[in-house]
Amino acid sequence: MADIPWDLRRRALKDSIRHDKRVKEAIRKNLKELIAEENIITSDGRKLVKIPLRYLDQYRFRFGQMGSGTGQGKGNVGDVIARDSERGEGGEQPGDQPGEQVYEAEISVEELTRMMLEDLALPWLEDKEERQITTTSYTFDDVRRKGSMANMDKKRTLIENLKRHAVHKRPKVGAFSDADLRFKVWSVQQEHHSNAAVYLLMDRSGSMTTEKKYIAKSFFFWLVRFLKLKYQTVDMVFIAHDTEAQIVPEQDFFTISNSGGTMCSSAYRVALEHIQHTHPKARWNNYIFHFSDGDNWPEDNSRCKTLIAQLLDHAAMVGYGEIRYYDEATFYGWGNTSEPGRSLLHNELSTVAHQRFITAIIKRKEDVYQALQTFLAKKEGMENAPELGNAAFQVGR
Amino acid sequence: MESQRFLELRELARQLGLDFFEVIFEVVPQDIMAEIAAYGLPTRARHWSYGKVYNRQRVHGQMGLSKIYEIVLNNDPAYAFLLDSNSEIANLLVAAHVYAHCDFFKQNVYFSPTNRNMVNVAVEHALRIDEYIDRYGLDRVERVMDIAFAVDRHLDVHKGVVRKPYPTRQVIERERRPQPYADLFGEEEFALTKAVVGDHLPPHPEKDLLWFFAQYAPIEPWERDVLEIIREESYYFYPQFETKILNEGWATYWHAEILQQYAGLSPSETIDFGVLHAGVVHPGHPMSINPYYLGYRLLVDVERRWDQLYAAGNTSVTGRQKLFEIRAQENDISFLANYLTQELADELELFAYGYACEHGPQSQKKCQKCGESAIQSRQIEDVIYSLVAPRYNYGAPRIVITRVNEDGSLLLEHERSDLGTLDRTYGEKTLGYLYELWKKPVHLKTFGSQHEATTLTYAASGMEISK
Repeated sequence: MADIPWDLRRRALKDSIRHDKRVKEAIRKNLKELIAEENIITSDGRKLVKIPLRYLDQYRFRFGQMGSGTGQGKGNVGDVIARDSERGEGGEQPGDQPGEQVYEAEISVEELTRMMLEDLALPWLEDKEERQITTTSYTFDDVRRKGSMANMDKKRTLIENLKRHAVHKRPKVGAFSDADLRFKVWSVQQEHHSNAAVYLLMDRSGSMTTEKKYIAKSFFFWLVRFLKLKYQTVDMVFIAHDTEAQIVPEQDFFTISNSGGTMCSSAYRVALEHIQHTHPKARWNNYIFHFSDGDNWPEDNSRCKTLIAQLLDHAAMVGYGEIRYYDEATFYGWGNTSEPGRSLLHNELSTVAHQRFITAIIKRKEDVYQALQTFLAKKEGMENAPELGNAAFQVGR
Repeated sequence: MESQRFLELRELARQLGLDFFEVIFEVVPQDIMAEIAAYGLPTRARHWSYGKVYNRQRVHGQMGLSKIYEIVLNNDPAYAFLLDSNSEIANLLVAAHVYAHCDFFKQNVYFSPTNRNMVNVAVEHALRIDEYIDRYGLDRVERVMDIAFAVDRHLDVHKGVVRKPYPTRQVIERERRPQPYADLFGEEEFALTKAVVGDHLPPHPEKDLLWFFAQYAPIEPWERDVLEIIREESYYFYPQFETKILNEGWATYWHAEILQQYAGLSPSETIDFGVLHAGVVHPGHPMSINPYYLGYRLLVDVERRWDQLYAAGNTSVTGRQKLFEIRAQENDISFLANYLTQELADELELFAYGYACEHGPQSQKKCQKCGESAIQSRQIEDVIYSLVAPRYNYGAPRIVITRVNEDGSLLLEHERSDLGTLDRTYGEKTLGYLYELWKKPVHLKTFGSQHEATTLTYAASGMEISK
C-alpha cells in the first residue's frame, strides 16, 4: 500500500486527538451532573480522576435486554453463573431502563476545576487601602546569549545556528558555536493582592445526614478549588457548628462527623468575632458561606437574623445555602415526591433585604453547580473591579 | 517480506487445495497495528470513534493485555499485516492462517458480492470526506457521519450495494395468468388487469435505511455522499460479520494442518508452534465463546464424522471434501444450525444462559435473583439459538421503513418482537438522528416488554411515546 497518500497515513493520531476533544466537550456539557461526582470530590488531591461519561455513545437501534448468550463450562441448568457486575466483555447493562455503556474519561482535577468555574469570581471585591499580601513568582520571560546550560532554549539555538549557516549560503544545521546558544532567563515578579478572607461555615448537627453533608462538602470542595486556582492567596477559615461552633483545620472540616442539635447563630458569632479580630473590614474583603439544612432551634432564628445583619456590615458578601430534599429518591433525581418548602430559618433570613446577602436552595446534587453560579456570579459593575493578583509590580528585571 | 519459508508454506497451502488471491505481507509496529485494527480498513475516512478504539487498542497493546498478531484485508491482492515483534514461528503460523482466510474470502459465497478493490475505494472515500471537511467544516461532516453510523447495520444484503430508485408512479397493465383450463369454460385466455405502481413510498417495506435516506431525504448532495460512503463500507464488512466463526475456524484448521505437514520446522519450533496454537484455540471466558475455538472444533468434528460415513460407505464425500463444501456454502448461522450436534455441544460443555429471574434486571429495586445470570439449557436447539440470535441481521433489531405519510412524516416499524425489545434511550437518540435527516416527524412502531404496541415519535418538540 505504498501508493497511499501521506495524509491518509497515521490518521489514528488525529482521530484520537479529536476524540479527546469530544470527551472534553462532553464533560463541559455535563458539568452540572459531574459536579457532585463522588470520584472527584473524594479525589483527595490525586491529580487525575476518572469520571464516567454517558454522553459519548454512538447511538443506534439496539436491544434493551442483553442478558442472554452462550457460555461454556460445568454446571447444572439453573446454576447462577454471574451477577451483573461480574459480566464479562460485551455483557452490557441490560434492562428496560437500559444502562448505558459508560466511557471513563481521565482528566486532571485542575483542568476540571477550570472548566467548572471559568466564569465565576468573588463578587464585590474591592481594593483595600493596604495591600497586605505579596507573593513572589518566577517566570521565564527573556532570552539571552549567556545563561545556565540547563535553561538552554533548544529551538532558538537551532534557528540561530541555521541562520548563521544560511548567511554563508550553507543551509544546514550543525557545527554549533557559542554564538548560536540562546538561554531562557527568568525574572522575579512580586505581586500585591487585594486581601480576601473566606469563611466556610458548615452545619454538623445530627440532622445533617450523610447525603446533606456530602452536598455541603462538594460545594466547599469546589469553592476551595476555585479560590486556590484563581487567587493565589486567600485566607480561609473553616467553622463547623452544632449548638456550638469552633474553628477547625481544613482537613478536619472535610472529614468531620456529626451529632447534636443546631444553633446556627453560634457559627455566625464565631465568624463575626474572628473577622473583627483578624480580618477588619478596612483591609479585608470578607466572604461568608454557610451551609445548613435549616433545622435550627426556632428560638435561635431571630438571633441569626441579627447576626447576619452585623456580618453584612463587615463582609463583602454573605451566602446562605440550604440543603433540602424530601427523601433519598428526590435527592438522587428519581422519584417525584412533592418538594419541601423553605425552613423557618430560611424564611426568617430572607427578610434580610440586603443586596449582598444571597441564598440558595439545593434540592438535588445537580443544584450544587447552580449554587456556585448564584454565589459567585460576576455581579453588575464588576468589570472594573480588581481581580486578585492582577496588579502586578515587577522587580528584578 | 516474503522469506523462503513463506513461499514454501504458500506452495503447500495450494497443494492442499486452498485457492487464494495474491497476498502482500507488511510488517508493522504495534501502534500501526492498533491503528489498522481500529479502522478495519486502514485507509478509510477519518472519524473520532476510531480514535476511541485506537486509544484503547494501543494502551492494551503497550500493557500486554492483548496482542494482535495479524490483520488481513479482503482485497485482491489481499493485504496482510504482521506485528514486527512476532517471532519467526508466529509469523509462519500467521502466514498459513492468512492464506486460509484469503481462500475463504475468494471462495465463500457470502463474500462474492464484496468489492475486491475496497482498499483503493476506501482511499477514494477518505479523500472525498476530507474535502467535505475542508469545505463544510469538521463538525458538520462529523455529525452526518455520526448519524450514518447509527443506522449502518440496517442493510438489505439481498438487494446489494448498487440499486435503482423505486419506479415513479404509473399505471401499468399486467397480463393475468389464465385460470387453468379456462378455455374449457369459454373464458378469455388472456386477461389484462391494471395496476398502480409507485403509489406509495416506499412501495415495499425498506430494510436499507441509509439507501432510503440518501435517495429520499431532503439533504444536500455532499450529505448524500457521506451516507453512501458509510453504507458501502458497511456492506463490505457484512460478510466478515456473518462468517466470523466459520472464517476463523477455517483459518485455524488450516494453519494447524499446514504447519503439521510442513517439513521445514525444527523440533523446538514445533513445540513453540504447539504452544501458540493452543493459545489460539483456548476456550476463553466462561460467558463468551472464542470463535477460533468453536469454529475449529466444529470443523474438526465434521471432518471426523464424514470420514466415518465415507469409510462406512454411507456418503461419497470425504471429510476434507465436506469441509471445502462448507467453506464455500455456509455462513455462521447455517454452519452452526446444520452441523453443531448435541454430542459436540456436550463435549465442549456449551450452554445457553439468561437471567435467573423472570423480571430480568430492574433498574432500581432488585430482587435477590434479578441481575443474576443462570444456565438455562444445554439442549442443542437452545444452544444453537443462543449462538445464532446475535448474528441475525448484523446484530441489529430488524427495522424497516414502511410509509411516508401524507403529512410528510416517516413511519418505521420494528418487525420482530421475538428477539427482544428496543433500548429506549438509544432508540430515542437514533430517531432524533433520523429526524435531523428527514426534517419532519419520524415515527417508530415497536412494542413494550409485554408485546404491547408502542409508537415512538420524534418531532421538533422532541420525543413522544404513545401506546
